Amino acid sequence: MAIAPSIAAPSDTDYIPVKRPFSFGRWFRATGWRHLIGAVMVVFSAFPLLYVLSASLHPGGTLITANGLFSQIDIGSYVTLFNLPQQPYADWYANTLLIGGITSAGTVFLGALAAYSFSRMRFTGRRVGLLMLVLVQMFPQLLAVVAIFLLLNGISDIFPAIGLDTQIGLIMVYLGGALGVNTYLMYGFFNTIPASIDEAAKLDGAGHARIFFTIILRLVAPILAVVGLLSFVGTTNEFVIASIVLITPEKQTLAVGLYQFVSQEFSSNYSVFAAGAVLAALPVMALFLWLQKYIVGGLTAGSVK
Amino acid sequence: MMVKKNGLLAAGAIAVAASLALAGCSAGSDSSGATSDADSSTLTVWVDADRAAVLKDAAAAFTKESGVKVKLVQKDFAKIQEEFIAQVPTGKGPDITIAAHDWLGNFVSNGVVQPVELGDTAADYQQVAVTAMSYEGKTYGVPYSIENIALLRNTALAPTAPATFDDMVAAGTAAGTEFPYLVQIGPEADPYHLYPFQTSFGAPVFGTNADGSYNPDDLTVGNAGGEAFATWLAAEGAAGRMSVNLTGDIAKEKFYAGASPFLLTGPWNVPDAQAAGIDVSVDAVPSAGGQPAQPFVGVQGFMVSAKTKNAIAANEFLVNYIGSEDVQTALYEVGGRPPALTAAFEAASSDPITAGFGAVGATAVPMPNIPQMGKVWQFWGVTEAAIISNQGDPVQLWQKMTADIAAAIQ
Amino acid sequence: MMTTPGTGHDRAQIVAAKRQRQASRIAEAASAGIKVLLVKVLVLGIVDAISVYALFVLFAKQDWLVFGLVLVVTVAVNWIYFRVKGLPAKYLTPGLIFLLIFQIFVVGYSGYIAFTNYGTGHNSTKDDAVSSLILSAQERVPDSPTYALTVLEQAGVYSFLVTDPDGDISVGNADTPLKTVTDAETDGSGQAVGLPGYTTLNFADIVSNQEAIAAVAVPLSDDPNDGSLRTPDGSAAYLYLSDLVYDEAAGTMTNTGTGVVYTEDPSQGSFVAADGSELQPGWKVEVGLANFAKAFGTDSIRGPLISVTLWTFAFAFLSVATTFALGLFLAIVFNDLRMRGRNVYRVVMILPYAFPAFLSALVWAGMLNPQFGFINQVLFGGAEIPWLTNEWLAKFSIIFVNLWLGFPYMFLVCTGALQSIPGELQEAATVDGAKPWQVFRLIKLPLLLVSVSPLLIASFAFNFNNFNLIYMLTNGGPRDVTAGVNVGATDILISMVYKVAFVGANRDYGLASAFSILIFVLVALVSIISFRQTKALEELN
Repeated sequence: MAIAPSIAAPSDTDYIPVKRPFSFGRWFRATGWRHLIGAVMVVFSAFPLLYVLSASLHPGGTLITANGLFSQIDIGSYVTLFNLPQQPYADWYANTLLIGGITSAGTVFLGALAAYSFSRMRFTGRRVGLLMLVLVQMFPQLLAVVAIFLLLNGISDIFPAIGLDTQIGLIMVYLGGALGVNTYLMYGFFNTIPASIDEAAKLDGAGHARIFFTIILRLVAPILAVVGLLSFVGTTNEFVIASIVLITPEKQTLAVGLYQFVSQEFSSNYSVFAAGAVLAALPVMALFLWLQKYIVGGLTAGSVK
Repeated sequence: MMVKKNGLLAAGAIAVAASLALAGCSAGSDSSGATSDADSSTLTVWVDADRAAVLKDAAAAFTKESGVKVKLVQKDFAKIQEEFIAQVPTGKGPDITIAAHDWLGNFVSNGVVQPVELGDTAADYQQVAVTAMSYEGKTYGVPYSIENIALLRNTALAPTAPATFDDMVAAGTAAGTEFPYLVQIGPEADPYHLYPFQTSFGAPVFGTNADGSYNPDDLTVGNAGGEAFATWLAAEGAAGRMSVNLTGDIAKEKFYAGASPFLLTGPWNVPDAQAAGIDVSVDAVPSAGGQPAQPFVGVQGFMVSAKTKNAIAANEFLVNYIGSEDVQTALYEVGGRPPALTAAFEAASSDPITAGFGAVGATAVPMPNIPQMGKVWQFWGVTEAAIISNQGDPVQLWQKMTADIAAAIQ
Repeated sequence: MMTTPGTGHDRAQIVAAKRQRQASRIAEAASAGIKVLLVKVLVLGIVDAISVYALFVLFAKQDWLVFGLVLVVTVAVNWIYFRVKGLPAKYLTPGLIFLLIFQIFVVGYSGYIAFTNYGTGHNSTKDDAVSSLILSAQERVPDSPTYALTVLEQAGVYSFLVTDPDGDISVGNADTPLKTVTDAETDGSGQAVGLPGYTTLNFADIVSNQEAIAAVAVPLSDDPNDGSLRTPDGSAAYLYLSDLVYDEAAGTMTNTGTGVVYTEDPSQGSFVAADGSELQPGWKVEVGLANFAKAFGTDSIRGPLISVTLWTFAFAFLSVATTFALGLFLAIVFNDLRMRGRNVYRVVMILPYAFPAFLSALVWAGMLNPQFGFINQVLFGGAEIPWLTNEWLAKFSIIFVNLWLGFPYMFLVCTGALQSIPGELQEAATVDGAKPWQVFRLIKLPLLLVSVSPLLIASFAFNFNNFNLIYMLTNGGPRDVTAGVNVGATDILISMVYKVAFVGANRDYGLASAFSILIFVLVALVSIISFRQTKALEELN
């Protein structure tokens, strides 16, 4: 893809217009209006979170007193967070990263395998299978929790290491949803990779596994990144199943642990809670920044040429 | 052909790998597998965050004395009831859990708790606490705290305690603050905080049997006193003194900011009020309907799982350790809730705040622990909210609620 | 890479080159084959080792059903990976195993629960119910003394050596009633602490055998109606009488106080008296279609069902429509390479998505408080707009908050989908003189919808069951108090079911599961129809 020369912003002096002098109207028509929308969206997206940030910096404040945005700045809540004897916040943080990381990696891998076969192979039950993947995810999770609990409880009786109150058990439950909507997302993307690439590799004598692992996976990197991110976010926010499966505080995740701050009888500790939430949002943002270039970057140059 | 060979080769390799892995498993299982003896003498106790620190010391003392290990599992208090009922039948639950007394009826009808024998120590607790922890004539828990709401007064704004509700409104108006008095209500109202006003009209939810336990067949909430209370609520709402927008958060913030001389609340908000520099006094809730205003008493304690394999250790720990004056006092110090053990309560009463709440609690009534109570809340709050917001005739709304509750508990 | 032989080439050369290429290809394939085989063998070896271990454990536990399942799965996995054919299965199996166990099985199991009375008072086996009833039936005889207790053991039988408050010492065990003894060793206070021929147990011994000791009941006399001594703590014994007597052969529980006989009723899973009163707890039994009958026969459910179902559809549809519209719009706006600082905008717009979702709803609930919330206080200068307490505004607020929560997902998905549309298409269309809008409408949007419509349907299904948002933001309110049922204006089906099945202390998993099946069928039907309508599967040939 040829990159169109960027139309310079007024402050930009490096770019010397060849033919036309800078015109604000033209700039606005080309990219300026996009900045306007961006600004509106920034306010819309970030405001409630600034509100939380302000609450976390307001000592002992409740959400209601946070109306005076940033009227007080105090990092006491953040210090408190890591010094709570009964709430191992640091453990929760590590657990969340671990469970989220393994789950999203597993989801991406299992989903990519399945998407490859759906996209490149023809077999009986393929259409129905794809449809079923999406449909089975529609079972109301809230009401399936009872069955999940009983299932893991049964597993615990045989293998305590992967049953209730183990992180492996929770990861397995999450991976049960690996072939779902995400597979569909990948499947669509796999279809956009021309089959001629596979054919050429086949003629060069590469086997199906080699084509998949060395060629295809690199070409679909953007969608792997998107699915990885979606899965990570979904895992870190998941709260109902995690609170049923993980019993020991040291094993719990941020979502479960943080919720305790709100549900403490009568003493909802909003300031500390908000501080915990602000920090909890950081890994997801970091991951997003790290995957930016895949998510947003174009397809590997040359593959579609 | 090639493939067949591959298959054989692989099968062989797998057999080798499997036997290796198995050898690893069996070698490793000695360290992890032989836990049955250790398990039988480990007590698993569910506690909430605030109580965990105190129980650590009690648990250590108990372990030193008896050799029984105690594993404290910290739970979110709001979810304990649900999880205890879910886990005990599967055999995965704890031996002991912290619990609020009003869960008891539910626990018993699920068969997840067993009676606790307080023996001769029963007389050492405040009567209301033991009553609350009893269901159908048997005691199921060792109580550690009694709590109830009372009237918190900002002495700088109102120098004397109001004798009646009207006095309180007058004093609050005279103080010239934003609100004459504060009681938290919220979008679905707060029947718990409004209950003392309701009882002052002579309309408790259920009637009681001779032994003080509640009679689910005697729904008294819809009597003439209840109608009078509904009418009074509507008037307070119309006068703007009660509002569904006043959530618990906001009510206490306003009180800390000096926006009202009075706040109807429990001991849990006192430390923050004092930290905000307010000199508070704890008074009885003034009567609005002429009869004594009796708030609900909530008792917390510890109960024993019906499926525990450590019944003796659990009883010993509860009766002789949780029931000791030291532990009861320590539990009081972290939560500020008056202790259930009489000796510990008397020691704690040197604090005027605790003494004040205790005095109000002495005349209060335990929150019903019968399972039927669960059906009451869902109609009670929203009806009060509708009455306060003047969304209809208060008496009709109240009678509709009574009929709905009666239908739901059948 | 295909080289076409030129016309001037010598045949022999071509043949030689061909052979060489073939040889190198075979060599390469072989080496790759070995690598693949090694990985395959290693992974399968681990899988099989775990399975064999599981089989050993299950064999020891005599759990034949699960044993059979594990065996079948293990054999199937090995078969799949060692045959040459069946390539798709090799790629699908890993994910399918998880899917089968943790999704399909869970759904199936919920289906089974729908046909039982599992829930409050019926949560376990009959044995558990009986033992729990018997436990709770132990009533201490009023005004009976506390006996100081020493637990003795002789040849594996536990005996109680008790000292009553008068200082009288007696001994007994489960088979022999208490009898007075005179040769007991006593401590300074006169409490008996040992008996010749018996071993005295200390507290540690008692604890390590506590199950057996807690079960010991020493009859006071030959007359069972006098009650028996039991110990709750190993150091004191009390006199108990049970007010329930269980007769296993007859399947009855008899209340000794009132004389009422409760007979086992397998259809209800509880002991029922002649007048219909039941003993709590009961146990779990299959009840056929009773839960479905309850679901359609209960007034409190039937009444609001139509309005709730309509709102559920409206909410799910509007949520998808608004989030998708905004997400797609933004994806297009920020997909312009000429724009600077795109990534800054992108990152900020991901924030709502990065933030823990269950908290977001709580934050919004605070901000939307009519009297004190930020929105009314600051943005609307102190107006009292009832965002969450007026029926229609509450519905609007829910959709609005869900838009805030959901647009980043759609933005991401649409960005990804737009990236996957080959650039040549746009270039070609532009060269052919198509306007940007036409390019979008005629080329990009159809392509995008093909890959995105399944996600839209999935998002619809997700929102259809979006319990968390409703629960945290409005809890289904505002409620019409005159309706007489616990259902509010913003309740969707799942939150209504939650209230019906789980509200208060009563949990009815059977009814909840019956509902979840009904909801599932409903959502699945809508989804299948949508799939057909959107031709999403047309691509699947």
